[in-house]
Amino acid sequence: MDTGYWALQFLNALQFSMLLFLLSIGLTVIFGLLHFVNLAHGALYMLGAYIGVSAAASFGSYWAAFFLAPVGVTIIGAILYFTLIERLRHAGPMNQVLVTFGLIFVFLDLVRMTWGDIALGLEAPAALAGSSEFAGISYPTYRFFIIAVGAVVMAALWVGLTRTQIGAMIRAGVENGNMAAALGINVNRLFFLVFCVGCALAGLAGVIAAPVFSATTGMGISILIPTLIVVVIGGLGSLEGAIAGSLIVGFIETLGAVFLPEVAAISSYVLLAAVLILRPQGLIPARG
Amino acid sequence: MRKLLSTLAVAAVATAGIPHMAQAETKVGLLLPKSGTYAALGNEIEAGFNLALKEAGKTGDFKIVVEDTEIKPPVGLAKARKLVLEDEVDVIVGIVSSGVLGALRDFVHEAKVPLIVANAGNNAATGKSCSPYIVRVSFSNGQVNRPMAPWLMEKGIKTIYTLAPDYAAGHQMIESFTEAYTAIGGKIIGGEFTPFRKTKDFGPYLTKAKSANPDGIFVFYAGGEAISFVKQYGSFGIAKDVPLFGSGFLTSPLYVKAEGDAAVGVVASLHYVPTLDTPENKAFVAAFEGEQKRPPSEYAVQGYDAAKMLMGAIAAGAKDRESIAKALPKVKYVGPRGPMEIDPATNNVVQNIYIYETVKQGEALTQKIVGTATAVRDAPNGCSM
Amino acid sequence: MFKQTRLRSVVLAATLTGLIAYCVMGGFYAREIVVEIAILAILAISLDVVAGFGGMVSLCHGAIMGIAAYAYGILTVKFGLPPLPSAVAAVAGAAVFGTVVGWITGRTSGIFFIMATLAFGQMAYTLIFKSQWLGGDDGMSGLPRFDLSWLGIKMGSSLTYGLFAIALTAAVYIAAAWVLRSAFGRTLGGIHANETRMKALGVNTILHRARAMGFSALLAGIAGIVAAQHTQFISPELLFWTISGEVLIVVILGGLGTLIGPVIGAVAFISLKHQVSGITDHWHIVVGLLLIVIVVAGGRGLYGQSEHWLAMRAGKAEDKTGDKSGDRGHA
Repeated sequence: MDTGYWALQFLNALQFSMLLFLLSIGLTVIFGLLHFVNLAHGALYMLGAYIGVSAAASFGSYWAAFFLAPVGVTIIGAILYFTLIERLRHAGPMNQVLVTFGLIFVFLDLVRMTWGDIALGLEAPAALAGSSEFAGISYPTYRFFIIAVGAVVMAALWVGLTRTQIGAMIRAGVENGNMAAALGINVNRLFFLVFCVGCALAGLAGVIAAPVFSATTGMGISILIPTLIVVVIGGLGSLEGAIAGSLIVGFIETLGAVFLPEVAAISSYVLLAAVLILRPQGLIPARG
Repeated sequence: MRKLLSTLAVAAVATAGIPHMAQAETKVGLLLPKSGTYAALGNEIEAGFNLALKEAGKTGDFKIVVEDTEIKPPVGLAKARKLVLEDEVDVIVGIVSSGVLGALRDFVHEAKVPLIVANAGNNAATGKSCSPYIVRVSFSNGQVNRPMAPWLMEKGIKTIYTLAPDYAAGHQMIESFTEAYTAIGGKIIGGEFTPFRKTKDFGPYLTKAKSANPDGIFVFYAGGEAISFVKQYGSFGIAKDVPLFGSGFLTSPLYVKAEGDAAVGVVASLHYVPTLDTPENKAFVAAFEGEQKRPPSEYAVQGYDAAKMLMGAIAAGAKDRESIAKALPKVKYVGPRGPMEIDPATNNVVQNIYIYETVKQGEALTQKIVGTATAVRDAPNGCSM
Repeated sequence: MFKQTRLRSVVLAATLTGLIAYCVMGGFYAREIVVEIAILAILAISLDVVAGFGGMVSLCHGAIMGIAAYAYGILTVKFGLPPLPSAVAAVAGAAVFGTVVGWITGRTSGIFFIMATLAFGQMAYTLIFKSQWLGGDDGMSGLPRFDLSWLGIKMGSSLTYGLFAIALTAAVYIAAAWVLRSAFGRTLGGIHANETRMKALGVNTILHRARAMGFSALLAGIAGIVAAQHTQFISPELLFWTISGEVLIVVILGGLGTLIGPVIGAVAFISLKHQVSGITDHWHIVVGLLLIVIVVAGGRGLYGQSEHWLAMRAGKAEDKTGDKSGDRGHA
């Protein structure tokens, strides 16, 4: 096994981590700020993939999907927000888990009825198809693209949260919602904004994943567990936590597959249990 | 007086006619997944089944009750009991998942109800757990894969790396291939079983496979996993160094379109391909396409053949559970797949296995046959009836 | 705090009578449904004990049921031991698993507790799924029912088995009610209400929660035995987290923290599922909408909401007379 092999596996792990990051950052900030457990996040991811497939089919271009999917999912998210989410913000975690669980079921059948049961594919754009040469190794270009998108989003969120006023308000809201409101921050509008951004990211993750994993009706439920594990391990409400969590889970899953395939299946569950027992608030929570 | 007598005579004949018509109707329980990830397969099998009845003009001779297994063994068993004990069907047709088949086996055997398996491939069902009441018209996991071994050796592919999902069917598919391949001098230089239902990212495994430097990779994946695997295989660009071979479900006509160009050049073995150039198949494909607006898959032909087998048994005079069970293994005909018969030693179908390559014709993907194994038959494998 | 109010006893008696009647007078399939309801009801009662009264929402109860079923399968099919002692051992094994999980997760609460139980449940699922010895996902068949022929009872008959399942449901309910009304149950309620205060009072809350999970797991294990014996076949599906999710839905559907609510929930859920799947393949959307409606309407579930309305009316009537002893039954 030469360095080329390890470089490839490293890239595999990084690409998977990026996908997890895009999903978990939305979920964690929504939880951290709105104290809302949104299991339907997985369903939004699925919608992103399917809307992307339809957009690409209608306009004949992947980029149409890339831009329309997050927009479409955000609109759906906004509708959900005004009809359900806002009403249940103070309803307690269990009711939120149940409602969003119900939403998963509803969306599952809606997707089945609209797009059918057979898995649908989305072609990567010609510019990103094939492989690229990079320091002597050949790796699928599209996966480099996923890594790039993840990195850009990470950087944008970092800058947004630490260097802008809105970012400061969001962080204040996460740390102490009442205090932030008392200081005159329009917390409700902030929540809506954060929720929309979270939905947009879920939709983006879906349309990005579709060329690799294809759009299937089970994808919302199957991505839910890894995402929740990332959020819990990383710590609720913080960007650093989401980054750390997604890297850890992404690398353990990938390298687990490489080194110990027997254990790979349960590795993330063991990790989850360990973190929950030793450090239940997660590695880098927003509120210490 | 004469008028009265003739009226009575007519009435007698008429009433004698009615129960006769009711007896001629055979009650069929279609036990298939109608919701969940395998619903597409269930619908396909049902479409094939109904097409065969319609073609023969016998739709009116059968009363069909459809039940959803949800791919859950306890649910499948409960529905089977309903079909047998409440609906009182004469025969059950269907079963996509081997897990559900395992759950039903004892019940069907003890209740003495014939079951025509229209998909589930686990070897034991026509091996150690065989039953005179269970007849399989689809395939067995071993049957589909063994023919690839001699074909690969002939083409100079002497070392193989295997991949499959980590569940019973995955293991059986690979094991039957491996047994046949190593018996004729092939070498398996490595392999992995990927976590079932969990793996979406095959990147790490593809990287590992490539670095082992085999002459080729042999895999079994089906459904959504097959689509993901083939697409990811394509994106890694290793096709020229490490060609991809597998069990035909990998590039099944049902979803090969979603795999796109990545599927071109993949060679796999399957018991049916829609491009088979026989009059029976051409008629079948035309009829199916006319109804469903897309070419038939192996699942459709399995449903179709299940109906043909059943009609064959009825035509031979069978009319209740016991006689249907006895008549089914004796049915022989030439169908879209080629010559079809049931092996009395195992109750598994004896059929041709086609080795095909996925090629591009214009904008569409289609299948080109590059080899045929005729009348492939399973060894008894512990079956005694 | 749990009170076995008159209303609850009446509803329980009515439900059990209804099930018995349906079992006796219905056909074969009706009896299948009754056993399905019984299994789900027992599981839901066991979950309500910890979730409704202890605030510990577990997503591993399906796995616990599966562990008991597999333990029973291993002892009877693989080792050929007689069914009754195997069942007892299997239920005990499930209780041990529950106690261990409860002890390990003793410090976590809320969403973290849910996730931790999910993790343990999935670990159990994966280990069993991968085991070739246990049959993997092809499952294990040939599990025997109890042999009560010396009593003249034929367990092979679906009528007898249906009645047996109903009897077990009643027994499980009574056991749960008894434990919840005891000092143990009241302490559990106290921990749910205010853990810090209980600790200050000297209660070892982690140990107590572990024991509560153990007892709940014991009841869930009974559901596992019935499930195993009913179809005489088990597969790893039983342990997948979506089964645990379904049980939770059933508890909420009926009414969390009422103990009888889960039984109502089980009846409603199974009936609804069979009705809907007879009409359409899309029953997920029906269940989803139902769930949303129930939560938005207050989250008390079918029984819980009814109980609440009756209590409000009784409270209003008593307010007029100045008597404050409203029949609420659950704080």
